[in-house]
Amino acid sequence: MNPTSINSTELLPSSSKVTPSGVTNETFIKVINFDFFYGKKQTLFNINFAIPSKHVTSFIGPSGSGKSTLLRNFNRMNELLPGVRHEGDITIEGRSIFDASIEIIALRRRIGMVFQKSNPFPRSIYENVVFPLRIMGCHKRAHLNETVERSLRSVALWDEVKDRLGENALGLSGGQMQRLCIARAIAGQPDILLMDEPCSALDPIATAKIEELIVELKKEFTIIIVTHSMQQASRVSDLTAFFNFGKLIEFDHTNRIFTAPIEKQTEDYITGRFG
Amino acid sequence: MAYSRSHILTPFTEKLDQIHSSIMTIGELARANFKNAICGLFERNDDYCNNAIANDEEIDLLEMQIDREGLYIMSRFQPVASDLRYVISSMKIGANIERIGDQVVSIARRSRKINEHPEVPELHELDKVIKLAMKMFDDALRAYTEENETLALHIKTQDKQLDRLNKELNERLILRMQDDSSKIPIYFNLIFISRCLERIGDHAANIAEDVVFAVSAEDIRHLGS
Repeated sequence: MNPTSINSTELLPSSSKVTPSGVTNETFIKVINFDFFYGKKQTLFNINFAIPSKHVTSFIGPSGSGKSTLLRNFNRMNELLPGVRHEGDITIEGRSIFDASIEIIALRRRIGMVFQKSNPFPRSIYENVVFPLRIMGCHKRAHLNETVERSLRSVALWDEVKDRLGENALGLSGGQMQRLCIARAIAGQPDILLMDEPCSALDPIATAKIEELIVELKKEFTIIIVTHSMQQASRVSDLTAFFNFGKLIEFDHTNRIFTAPIEKQTEDYITGRFG
Repeated sequence: MAYSRSHILTPFTEKLDQIHSSIMTIGELARANFKNAICGLFERNDDYCNNAIANDEEIDLLEMQIDREGLYIMSRFQPVASDLRYVISSMKIGANIERIGDQVVSIARRSRKINEHPEVPELHELDKVIKLAMKMFDDALRAYTEENETLALHIKTQDKQLDRLNKELNERLILRMQDDSSKIPIYFNLIFISRCLERIGDHAANIAEDVVFAVSAEDIRHLGS
């Protein structure tokens, strides 16, 4: 069986009775019987699902439900922590990300990440964007310039900063800094963009701009976003996965999750009946 | 899964309870008006008819209040899933009950006109139609209160029966018109009342559809016969 040809519906959790039938894109990321442990403490339990390419998938769930832990497994960031281990597998285009032959740097080049708090380097706007290219060894000025303009245009920041690319990035507003971080994350042209609560520190206008950006960016990238905002998940994502106590409870079309979820736990969480 | 209006956020629970209570109030008021209009017809008492007409204003106001309550919940609490379905269904049910109120006003007006003439035995031809329309409306309100999908689905089947009774009654009354042209105005108004009762059945069926949507998220409208 060629994993790239597997329809995402095949790996839906057994508890889900409704398959995301409208999803036609091929499976891009597949999580297979995945368990995760911090030392002796297990935080993810037998996670199975498949994410199609060029879709936005939201991970929702209460604090400690395992959504960020799973997100950080996609680029193996968790391995930076001591005493962690996993069982099961995660594949991207059919290839295990844990395969011994996979170079972790090469993996992370394919997967951009944006964090809750924007984290621009204390350098110029220009240098922030080209940073991934520089560490890849690219120093051609024309290519760097082209990447800066393309990336900043993609995040709708170009017009706001094009005349001050040499200024320190820390002088930008919170929303601009977060968009700069997204521009940096996509500068190396990854396939996947991971976002861990990217708007939690932003005001509603800056949040709206990021959300508009997410919808736009899915034309080029497969996006996975962890969010505590139900409204944000319902506004921007095509698919939503609900996690609770380290288990994937339900995974379905966002519209279905927010109008008629199958599982009572999902219903109780999104309607504010448990916490 | 059974719907509970209880939330972590107490004001949300209170507002959901409030819209539920408003639906119950408008439902009871429309039901009482319906009975008044029918009493006015059978007891040949215009006072009942006048009451039914006058009380419709309160039903109109309640419909607007339900819409305001629904909008408030949507704007303040952004309901999703069963809550969203419940609020949307409640607003639609409020509108359907208001339309039932309008049909009751028409029945009351037609009854007053019939009361101007000597009583005719054909009045009792309406009995079955009235009984079924009233039962459908009662069942629709009960299905909403009990979130009873089975009862709601049963109302849909009763609607066809009501359509048939209305049609048969029309045919009989048209024949009588041909036999006795002096009573055409009375028969004419009886036909109109039967038509109003048939419309009440339609609205009860609409309420039933909204109950099914609220309870199970299934859209059973326009599924054909």
